[in-house]
This record gives sequence, C-alpha cells and structure tokens, in this order.
Amino acid sequence: METNEKAAALRIEGLTKIFHLGRNKNVVALDNLSLEIKEGEIFGLLGPNGSGKTTALKLVLGLLFPTSGQIEILGRDYQNIEVKNDIGYLPENPYYYRYLTGPEILTFYGRIFGMTKEIIKERKEKLLKLVGLYDQQHLSLKHFSKGMLERIGLAVAMLNDPKFLILDEPTTGLDPIGSRETRNLLLDMQAAGKTILLSSHYLSEIEKISNRVGILHQGKLLTLGTIPELMTQWKAEDIEDLFIKVIEWSKQS
Amino acid sequence: MTKRTYRNASVAALVLLFLLLSPLQDKIDLQRKQMGFEQRLLLMPGQIAGSLALGGFKGLAADLLWLQVEELFHSGQSHKMLPILRSVTFLQPKFITPWAVGGWHLSYNISVMAKDPNEKEAWIQAGVDFLKEGITYNPERYDLYFELGWTFYHKVKNYAEAVKYLELACKFPGPDYLPNVLAHAYEKNGQIDTAIETWREILRSGNSFGHLSPRHIHNLKTYGSTITPETPKKK
Amino acid sequence: MVKAIVIAKNTFQESLRLRSYQIILVFALLLLGSSQLFSFLTPAEQLKMIKDVSLSGIEFFGMLLAIFASMTALRSEFETNTISTLFSKPLKRSDFILGKFLGMAMVITLSIIMMSVVFIGLILLKQRSFEISLFSALFLIWAEMLVIVAITLAVAAFASTAFTLIFVLFLFLVGHLTGYGLSMAERMKNPVMHVVARFFYKIIPNFENFAIRDQVVVGGTVPISYLLKTFGYGIIYAAIALIICLYFFRYREV
Repeated sequence: METNEKAAALRIEGLTKIFHLGRNKNVVALDNLSLEIKEGEIFGLLGPNGSGKTTALKLVLGLLFPTSGQIEILGRDYQNIEVKNDIGYLPENPYYYRYLTGPEILTFYGRIFGMTKEIIKERKEKLLKLVGLYDQQHLSLKHFSKGMLERIGLAVAMLNDPKFLILDEPTTGLDPIGSRETRNLLLDMQAAGKTILLSSHYLSEIEKISNRVGILHQGKLLTLGTIPELMTQWKAEDIEDLFIKVIEWSKQS
Repeated sequence: MTKRTYRNASVAALVLLFLLLSPLQDKIDLQRKQMGFEQRLLLMPGQIAGSLALGGFKGLAADLLWLQVEELFHSGQSHKMLPILRSVTFLQPKFITPWAVGGWHLSYNISVMAKDPNEKEAWIQAGVDFLKEGITYNPERYDLYFELGWTFYHKVKNYAEAVKYLELACKFPGPDYLPNVLAHAYEKNGQIDTAIETWREILRSGNSFGHLSPRHIHNLKTYGSTITPETPKKK
Repeated sequence: MVKAIVIAKNTFQESLRLRSYQIILVFALLLLGSSQLFSFLTPAEQLKMIKDVSLSGIEFFGMLLAIFASMTALRSEFETNTISTLFSKPLKRSDFILGKFLGMAMVITLSIIMMSVVFIGLILLKQRSFEISLFSALFLIWAEMLVIVAITLAVAAFASTAFTLIFVLFLFLVGHLTGYGLSMAERMKNPVMHVVARFFYKIIPNFENFAIRDQVVVGGTVPISYLLKTFGYGIIYAAIALIICLYFFRYREV
C-alpha cells in the first residue's frame, strides 16, 4: 500500500445475497456488489425501497450471511467479532428496551462493549449532550418520539467511539433542524477521522455530506463516484435528476 | 468455525450428554422404586380427575375424589363410595386416610346394612383385606396397623390377630393410646402377665395414660381383668 | 460470561414488566389463597388439600410463567428489532442465549419464591410448623422449571410462538407419562417395541423425576441423594436444550 493512499475501511468483493423464500422462489437481494470505502470517507448508498441497501449493511455487520463474496472491515475479516468493537450501527427505525431511560440504554450497551464504569459515565454525559437528550435523562424510552429514538440511536452508535459508523436511514423521523444537527454531527465525526457509510433515500441529505455515492437498484450497484463526477457522467441537473436517469437506464438495459 | 464443524461439534456434545443422562435416569428409577414412588396410571374417561392424573397432578386428583367420598358419606350413600375410594388409594397409596376410612366403612357401616349374616361377614372381611392392602403401601407407619388391630379387637373379636397388629403399630411413632389398647388386647387374649407388663411400661415411660396403670395392674392381678366385678348391692 | 450476565439482567427486568407474566402470577397467588376455602374438611384433610393445591399450583403456574416469559424473551427481540443492534456489537450468540437462560432462571426463581412464601404462610397459619420435606418438593419444582425454560428457548429459536406454546405444553404432558408408556410397551410381545420405547424413554425429558410432592404431602421424606441426582438430570437436560437452541440460533439471520 502506498503511504499517501488511505487504507480501505470497507472492502466488498462480489457480494451476493439470495433469499430462498420457498419452493422455486428465490429473491436476489444483492447481486455481485463490489465497492471500497476509504478511511475517513463519508459514503452514501442510495436507492429506492427494496434496492438492497439494508441488506448490504446487514451483510457487512454479520446480521445476514452472504450467498457468496468477501467482506473486509478495517483490514480484518468481517466475521471476526473483535471488529465490532470498532463499528457503530444505527438501524432503520431504531427501537430499544422501552423501560430503560437514555442513560440506562447507554450503560447497557456500554457493558456489552466491555467498557468500564468510568468510561461509560464519561461518554454517557457527553453523548446525551451531543444528541440533545441530556434534559430528558429521566424519561424512559417508551415516552420517546420517533425523532428522540433516532437521536438516542445515534448516541448508541457512537458510544464505543467507533472508527467506522454504519447508519441506515439516519434522518428518518427528524425535522429539518434535527436533520441539520445530525449532518453537522456526522461532518464533525469525519473531521475526527471516522469513516461513515450511510444509506438513505433522502437524496438531498446524502448530497450535502457524502464524499462519494453509490446507487443501488434491484440489488445491483448501477453507478459509483463523487457527485460532481456522476452529474457530469449522467448529464444530470441535480441529484434527483441523476437518480431518475440512473434508474431509468437500469430499467431499459 | 465453519457451519459443518459447528454442527458436528453440537451433535457430538448432544450424544455425550444423552449418554450421561441414560445411566442417571436408571439410578433415579431405581431409587424411586426403593422409595416406593411407583407410577400408577388411572384412566377415568370424562372425569376431571382423569386428566389431572394424566397431567401429573395425582395428589390433586386424589383430593378431588376424596371430596366426593366425603359428600357421599354425609348424604348416606356409602355404598357408592367404594369405587371412588379405590381410585383415591390407587392414585395416592401413601394417603393414609382413605385406607383407614375405607376399612372402617366396609367393616362397620356397610356390614351393618347387610341383612344376611354371611354377607355381613364378607363385608367385615372386605374391610380387613382393604386395610391389609393399605399396610403393604404404608408398612412404616402405625396408622393402618392400629386400624386393623382395632377392627380385629372390636368388630371381629379375634384377639390373637388384634394383638399381632397392635404390636406392629406400637413399633412406630404414634399417639399415647397405642400401648393402652395393646394392653387391653393382651388381656382379652388371655395374656394377663404380658398385659400387666405393658401397663408397667406405660407408667415407666411417662405415657399420658400412666395414671391408669396402678389401678389396671391391681385389677389384673386380683381379678384377671381390668374391669372389676360388680359389688353386690347391700340389701 | 460477563456479557451474558448483562443480557440476563436486562431479560430479568424486561420479563417482570410483561403483562402476561404479571397476570399469571396474580392468578397463582389467588389460587394459593383459595385453598383456605376448604374449611368443611377436617384440619388434617384441609392441610393436605392446601399442600396439594399449592404445590400443584406452583408447578402449573410456574410452567406457564416459564413458557410465556421465555418465549417472549426471545421473540420480542426479533419483533422489536433490538436484536440487530445487539448483534452489531461484539456479543457472541452463545453469550446471548446463555444470558437469556440466566435471566429467565432469575425470573422463575423469583416467581417460585413469591409463591412459596404464600404457601409457607398458609401452612404456618394452619399448623405452626413447616416440614423440611416440602422444601424438597419446591426445590425440584424449581429445577423442573429450569428445564422448561431451556426447552422453550430451544423451540422458540426456530419456531413460531403458537408452535412453541403447543409443543412445550405437549412435551410437559408427555414428559410426565413416559414411565407409563415404557411399562405399557414392555408388556407388548414385539421386542422391537421395547427397544423403541426404551429409546424414547431416555430421550424425552422425564418430568416425573421431579414429582415427589404426592409422597411428601402425605408425610414422606426424600433423601438428599435423590434431590442431587434429579437436579443433575435437570441440569444435563437443560444443557442439551441450550445446545440445541444455540445450534439453531447461531446461524440464524437477524
């Protein structure tokens, strides 16, 4: 590896996932996906609903098992459980144990990471302030709004100070102010050297922060690159136009 | 670990554990037999008791049936009690009360209702046999030995048998009146010296009936009976 | 192991908040209290009734609690998707399953203690003493419930809620009848039946091993050696169930 080239935070090669739903009923959720995300990059995975975005993220996290292909995270085999110490994950529509409060949820996951009491205490306070839930410390999660759940989810994802953040639809349920706050947070994280992979179907959100994007449709990666590159390549006026053109092209071929 | 290796390891572990389980189950079965924890299956279609017995709640089933017995007795339908009594003792042979009460019903209440002397005899004998069966399941307790001894003493008037069973009753922990009744049985069986010795032992042991001993010993020595003959009335 | 305990504690706290758990527990305590109603019996018979009803009730409701709470402990993680967050962390699946089992063991222990306290109270009201042998019966009921928890987790790892409930209830019933099945099969002339029956007798969990209350209630005692053997049987069977659970769970997609 050349010294001026950044290491790959994520390397996926030929990743395929076929769901066997019954006799002769197979769904190809992901078809031969290959991509590389450099350390310190924010990568946006775009695609309509059912395109395979969540499947791709879950495969990387080891929640689903690939039919074929290789995955390497931070230079290590993705199946190595230790790798998860360096990953933070925010699922789509996050949901946590209802009877716990914000600080209690963070303590719970902190213990799963094997963090000491002192570290948990320090991070809890910092993160709750960061996501704007410090004043709601005594509220149990069953009283949280969707937006609040997203925010505590983000806190959980950042709890272990991960090198690699994987966020599935992070701005769902957030109002414009909340979305902007989240975007700024992610940019701060990038500035701190973290790599971020986020999936979304909110095109404008992705456009504002991603260094590169990839567009998925029906399990296939149709195009990949920086937004200016792709706009030129596809002769698109804006990101919405780009998205539509890529999808249309895929439908025709 | 690959999926295949993991599967093989799991199967190996399961086989090993089942192999451990098998001799342990045999040991448990043996000990249950030694302790008299037999399994008894009672199929009574259509009765709650049946399904409870099958569900493993035999004690509860026995209790429900016992409630029925109580009700039948109090409503004067003693003859209907027998099959249910049988079920209760079948389900829970270590439940003493049904044996004792059953034996009593057979030898006393039901025999009294029979008009034919032979039939009367048969019912009394049925009571004796019932108690003897109860003893085979409860050989380490005084209760049924006493009931049987008392039946022989009071109903059958076979004092030799009465002595035999009352002696057995006295071998196990029981109430204070046991040696008292045995002493009377010795007396009725013509074993006066043994009766006297028994009353002496009752006194020595601090038995609550000890205060009767001096009088009974005196009467046995003087009259050969604890009951004194009537003093002729002075004219 | 430490992570398993974290999962266990969370499972314990979650289960206590389950509506179904609370309802079953209340019914159990009411039933125990109702055994006071048999005042028309003689005191000795009433005492026996209280013991029978209470111990049977503790076993029956303990079983319901074990099944419902264990089933929910696993299914809810899938239904609410908390499981995907959990497994995105460095948590082994074996620690997760062990944690669920330990958490449920804590739930069962607490439930049996609560029911036992009521039971002991009822007995003391009637006779001012409590036979040690009754504790043996409670101990074995507890051990039996641990086996039921493990079996429920094993089935819930791959089956639906309805199937799990029916299957475990069925197994509970069959597990009390294996001895009868064996003795009936041994009366048959076909030697193949003997071998088959013996095989199933050894495989199916024999819940009758834990049944000593019928004897203990009428004054019998049970030696410690029997309690230890039966407890050992329970632990081994629970381990078998947990291995099966982990086998299905380990490669289960989340």
